[in-house]
Amino acid sequence: MGEFSHRDRCAVVGIGNTEFSTNSGRSVLSLATEASTKAIADAGLQPQDIDGIIRCDFDVVTQSDLANSLGLPDLRYWSAHGPGGSAPCSMMASAVGAVMSGQANNVLVFRSMNGRSGFRLGKGRNQNDTGPIGGNGSYEEFFVPYGSVSPGQVWAMLAQRHMHDYGTTQAQLGRIATTVREAANNNPNAQLGHKSLTLEDYLDGPMISSPLRLYDYCLETDGACAVVVSSAERAKDTANRPVLISGVAMGSVRGVQGGMAAPTMLRPDPMRFPSTAVAKTLYERAGMGPSDIDVAQFYDCFTITILVQFEDYGFCAVGEGGPFAESGAIAKGGSLPINTAGGNLSEGYIHGMSHIVEGVRQLRGESTSQVPGAETCLVTSGLPIITSAMILRGE
Amino acid sequence: MSERPIPNLDDPDTGGHWAAAKRGEVALRVCTDCDTVLHLPKAYCHACGGWSTEWRAMAPTGTLYSYTVTERELRPGFEPPYTVVVVELDDAPEARLFGCLEGRPELTIGMPMRARFDPVDDEVTLIQWDPVSA
Repeated sequence: MGEFSHRDRCAVVGIGNTEFSTNSGRSVLSLATEASTKAIADAGLQPQDIDGIIRCDFDVVTQSDLANSLGLPDLRYWSAHGPGGSAPCSMMASAVGAVMSGQANNVLVFRSMNGRSGFRLGKGRNQNDTGPIGGNGSYEEFFVPYGSVSPGQVWAMLAQRHMHDYGTTQAQLGRIATTVREAANNNPNAQLGHKSLTLEDYLDGPMISSPLRLYDYCLETDGACAVVVSSAERAKDTANRPVLISGVAMGSVRGVQGGMAAPTMLRPDPMRFPSTAVAKTLYERAGMGPSDIDVAQFYDCFTITILVQFEDYGFCAVGEGGPFAESGAIAKGGSLPINTAGGNLSEGYIHGMSHIVEGVRQLRGESTSQVPGAETCLVTSGLPIITSAMILRGE
Repeated sequence: MSERPIPNLDDPDTGGHWAAAKRGEVALRVCTDCDTVLHLPKAYCHACGGWSTEWRAMAPTGTLYSYTVTERELRPGFEPPYTVVVVELDDAPEARLFGCLEGRPELTIGMPMRARFDPVDDEVTLIQWDPVSA
């Protein structure tokens, strides 16, 4: 533990989100503005109370764009986090840092995207580039000319390796997909909320990039989420049950590699993820361990992404993510219900930001798949490049 | 078939890899002070703090670390199905290189692989990796 502690000193006082769809017909700025105005109203604040904005580096909406749209008179703090899906909890870390250092009082954290009707991340960041690929520190020249263009292929190769090393099965990945879908079936805003998914459906799903099938993949979504972070002291004055940030952490690994997802296959051990480092830091900062977590919202660009986090966050031993997935622990009534709004896989892909919104709902008792008596929630953000996570606690 | 994307050959940190590939070598950037393999290639050695590096030819052999058969078109030029392979070099197990094979070849993690130099045009040679049959 460092000289200072942020444990329970800041709170999420407001949450907001738009409809999640495949074609919003609206600008990304409009989506960001709607989610933000909802989060500010939910906090019982006015737009002029917001003096900080934290954004994701992949977002097309800048802090100035959003400050202008909301009519903020006095924006004093901003930062950008990423890459991409690793951002949400690290954005929260930045908000906590801003509040605790006195640089801002009410910080808006947002992610907005037309992820289906606009730029589709699944085909890779440089899908529209013409001419020679790579250079300038991107290192894409070592991957894209060999057909490795998408994060899904990297996770497929990690899944292949996990199956080889530990005997993990497709059915075990399927149990993650069906569990998360069951939660989405209760959530009227989930994109796939109206569609059931059985293990047979999962195994019948077409192969996309072996061994990953259709339902191992997350959705593509138009939508936005936003939250407001203030001091725990200020949170007492809001209408909602305060949700404290018990701990937040960012982390990396030795030999991290530059670039995006594919270079992580060139680490000393590609199967050791930055979540392991984040878990250690996070539990120490929050003064908790895995057994203290009542419910979890794991970043889920793919089913395998959740499976490795079971191991990294200490809910099972290394290599035991598969058996843990089918043990019943993650289902409704189990010891660790997961992704209770449906996650990236079945609710919508807001790049991990909806996981924070759902974590807050759980601790307010407002989830559509409410875990009875939930007092703590683990929320994680994207891997494998770098990652971040936090533990929320209901007051 | 659409053209596949080609690598940028001119980057000051990575260009030597492609120049060597054109000569028929699998070359990695290595620190001449402490022999640390600097892959992905970079000019500064984090192990000893030196800035003196060279492109060193490695044996064109390795083992299959992992692979995936891609069944959907993700980018024009790569007609599905095709297979992305990641190969650990015998001479530098800490370094891995990607390759692309047509179709769904019979592969097993840990199997031996051998480099094949695949000239795309007069300037660009890609290093591909084939399974070595027993």
